Amino acid sequence: MAHAEAAAKFNENEAKVNWHDKALWFVRQKRDKQAHKVQGWEQLRDYASALKANVLSNLDSYLVQFEENAKKNGVIVHWAANAEEHNKIVHSILQKHNAKKIVKSKSMLTEECHLNPFLEANDIEVIDTDLGERIVQLAQEPPSHIVLPAIHKTKEEVDELFQEHLGTKPSGGNPEYLTREARKHLRSKFLQADAAITGVNFAVADTGGFVVCTNEGNADMGAHLAKVHIACMGMEKLIPQEKHLGIFLRLLARSATGQPITTYSSYFNKPEEGKEMHIIIVDNGRTEQLSREDFRRSLHCIRCGACMNTCPIYRRSGGHSYDATIPGPIGSILSPGKDLTKHSSLPFASTLCGSCSDVCPVKINIHEQLYKWRQIIVKEVPQPFVKKIVMKAAGSVLAKPKTYDFVGKSTRFMLKHTPKSLINSKINTWGHARDLPEVKGDNFEDWYKKRQKNE
Amino acid sequence: MSREAILKAVKANKPEALPLPDIDLSVFDEDINLIERFKENIEFVGGRLLEINGLDTIDAEIKALYPEASKIVSCMKESALGTVPVSKDTNPHTLEDIDLTIIKGNFAVAENGAVWVSDQEIVVRALPFITNDLILVVPKNAVYLHMHQVFDAISERERTFGTFISGPSKTADIEQCLVVGAHGAISLTVVLY
Repeated sequence: MAHAEAAAKFNENEAKVNWHDKALWFVRQKRDKQAHKVQGWEQLRDYASALKANVLSNLDSYLVQFEENAKKNGVIVHWAANAEEHNKIVHSILQKHNAKKIVKSKSMLTEECHLNPFLEANDIEVIDTDLGERIVQLAQEPPSHIVLPAIHKTKEEVDELFQEHLGTKPSGGNPEYLTREARKHLRSKFLQADAAITGVNFAVADTGGFVVCTNEGNADMGAHLAKVHIACMGMEKLIPQEKHLGIFLRLLARSATGQPITTYSSYFNKPEEGKEMHIIIVDNGRTEQLSREDFRRSLHCIRCGACMNTCPIYRRSGGHSYDATIPGPIGSILSPGKDLTKHSSLPFASTLCGSCSDVCPVKINIHEQLYKWRQIIVKEVPQPFVKKIVMKAAGSVLAKPKTYDFVGKSTRFMLKHTPKSLINSKINTWGHARDLPEVKGDNFEDWYKKRQKNE
Repeated sequence: MSREAILKAVKANKPEALPLPDIDLSVFDEDINLIERFKENIEFVGGRLLEINGLDTIDAEIKALYPEASKIVSCMKESALGTVPVSKDTNPHTLEDIDLTIIKGNFAVAENGAVWVSDQEIVVRALPFITNDLILVVPKNAVYLHMHQVFDAISERERTFGTFISGPSKTADIEQCLVVGAHGAISLTVVLY
């Protein structure tokens, strides 16, 4: 389904859309408040962007350096070319330890690899332990936001899910009560788990360590209780040196949720005695994206979600309308590289206002890349007939000054005189919630000519 | 193993080498009262700050804050409140019902209310997460302005495991309503002495 169609579905519930829109804009405003408090914020973004550019241009040597240091620390390092290989590696580690019960903290990479269904098909229980992820797991849905996975769910919906799956009492959607119940439920899962899977926020080449950030403490509860810890990372998560963590940790939570830092920023270097720590470095299309000059900067992404919170399209269409692991503006420049035809509508799900690029902590030129993907897509993917005709017509109007002048004047006439009953009629979807703008005085050309004369 | 194939593809696809940026940390300088800023931030993230003069009275202060706590782990010799001893060999699963844990932290961060603790101070890695309530005790002169200074200060340590803790565990995953006490500690008090 194209993005616009899926978005239309999401918009059937107007009250919910309005809530979604405002809730995310509120997070964007919290981000602004925190960003403005930091002396040298723009400099931080510049440094982060330059560091990521340096990483990409030396990625092979940083990867080797990281592996070497991690091995010295007693960590077992694996490499996966694609999702399938990643899942097989995870499974083989679990098999070796006869691990049947797994707790997993948030990891967009394992979503991308569809790890859960793979493990479940192999008789392994995987419990997502981030509250938002647990909610969408119980609802059998993918996350709709990379930081706020269940932002599309109302508290009443969560209440019902918990009644059904956790046996809670009806509470009318009391968040305190539901969170306490989830804490109890998940605590028993942490205590029983044979192995823990986490994502990686940052991997440090010069120490071989990696950092995992959470607010709930679920990554740590899992990793420190289970005998085996498997950390899955996209290969672009590397940063050169430990001291650079200072830069990225200052940016991440402020950009994501408007917190000065996440509650826990845990830095794993060595496994505890008697335990095993694994890192799986995953490519899955990243080297291909690296080859695309116009799009490689998308690999700077630190998965904060700021571009989603600010995007006027995302806020009003919901994460599921993108039908991609990573939704929103950043997803719309990552996904076409994976499957151009399937994701061909995504770069058009934007007003190109540029707000995403303005808030991006690592300064990815997201809106410019959206525009560049459009140019590729119109050449390679068949476009709707109406769109082609309209574009052609617009092209010929814009190419001829006289036609342009005539069409402009007619439009101004129409704007003034089209009856409201027609604009807001049932058949004109555009007019359901909008009116035509008021037209004042002359067009620019006439105004300019008069002004010249008067001088 | 896909290692060689991946590295080969990266080599072929990566852009021309770009240098590491020269990072001028002076652009982040601020002349502020560090403890004031730390206090603002620890309260913003849902924690509590207690300032005391020296460690002589620490046990009485903690008792007053947590009168109900009975299963207590103390990881600092200056506090005698511990009722449950722990060592490197403690099975973390046995710590499930700990009421209160007291840990010494050597670094605090004014800009975000975080305290850095590592294996040396926490003894068992699961401890600061699995405990119901958490107290982090930090010297007043160990409050640093920003993260860059702290990473500099900890650069010579033995690297095993360490974590920045900023406030109690929390979530807003149900309709963006903030609930304190997700999977980790339900409350956090930082004691500056």
